[in-house]
Amino acid sequence: MSEENKPKVDYWEWLFKREWSYTTGAVLLAVLATVLVVVTGIAWGVTGPFAYWGGKALTLIGIDANSWEIFHGSLDKYGFFDGKYSVPSMTNLGIVLGALMSVLLAASFRIKKIKSGRQVAAAILGGLLMGIGARVAMGCNIGAFFSAIPAFSLHGWVFMVFIAIGAFIGSLMLKKWFM
Amino acid sequence: MAEISSGIKRRSRRVRETPEQRKRKKIIQISTGVGVFALICVIAYLAQQSNPKGAFIVMIGAALGYVLQRSRFCFTAALRDPALTGGTNLTKAVIVSLAVASFLFMAVNMANMGLSLENFEQVKAAGKIKPVGFHTVLGALLFGIGAVISGGCASGTLMRMGEGFQQQWLTFVFFIIGSVVGIFPSPRLSPAKPRQPSSCQRHWEDGCRQ
Repeated sequence: MSEENKPKVDYWEWLFKREWSYTTGAVLLAVLATVLVVVTGIAWGVTGPFAYWGGKALTLIGIDANSWEIFHGSLDKYGFFDGKYSVPSMTNLGIVLGALMSVLLAASFRIKKIKSGRQVAAAILGGLLMGIGARVAMGCNIGAFFSAIPAFSLHGWVFMVFIAIGAFIGSLMLKKWFM
Repeated sequence: MAEISSGIKRRSRRVRETPEQRKRKKIIQISTGVGVFALICVIAYLAQQSNPKGAFIVMIGAALGYVLQRSRFCFTAALRDPALTGGTNLTKAVIVSLAVASFLFMAVNMANMGLSLENFEQVKAAGKIKPVGFHTVLGALLFGIGAVISGGCASGTLMRMGEGFQQQWLTFVFFIIGSVVGIFPSPRLSPAKPRQPSSCQRHWEDGCRQ
């Protein structure tokens, strides 16, 4: 093939627009999670700081959550940039902004509006169930699954089996009520 | 699923854009994207002020978000699709990811503890190692149901918040409310620490804290 006949490479398309394969994403996620562990000593988690954010929000609206026995005064010690739960706090912010940057660079950002009351109900019920489940199981699909199975922790495997069963029940509910 | 069908509906209703409009939109979006990158850098700078590893952590987070969005990686879909649609591509990808991460985590452990892992009890192993019990079963079931209903797991919710899904913003608010509700049963369910004297106060992070 001569030089003129070669199709012109759109570098923007190649760099930012083209979607990656699942396997590429899988390997990169594993590498990034490892880098995070090596540098900070704390494995990737998402939901750890959520209870603190809720507690902080309660404090903002005038409820003294810090005095609850369950927080045990630890709410004051929580910091977004430093402290025990600073690593997941910062990566959470990074994930939101990184995803936003990725969509914008691909020029495919659009606000996806809520279409129906069913979506509102699904969001409320799903969010509550995830929040309670993540705290009861001491981790979410990242902390108790993606950072646990590679650490050869038994709770990751148990979590995987039962999250799959839960997902199956959820699919049935989704088909029946939320679609 | 609901997203896909509504997306199709919207596309048919959408007014056709002229090429100039499309080009303008593209330029606006890409420059905003560069602006978001600058914002991430500013936040990384701010984080660096109070945490010696802050900038690095923020950047890793942004990279995680970028990778999740670019490859449409979704743990919920990986668990849901075999039951809902029969697709297993994403499930296979999650298995690949776990395999690679297992290998790398063990490499980190071996680097920290020596090849024979003789100091395994003394040094903190990479990853999360936590007690298993009925609380894991119950929590995973609730989490799985919630993740499929709301259309995004923990990482997926955050990623879709960035993508502009209003539904996930609402989910996120109730995710936080649910987390606050969930810390009340968690110390009673999880036998996290060895039994302590009964005077010790229960704390949700690790079951029991003096």
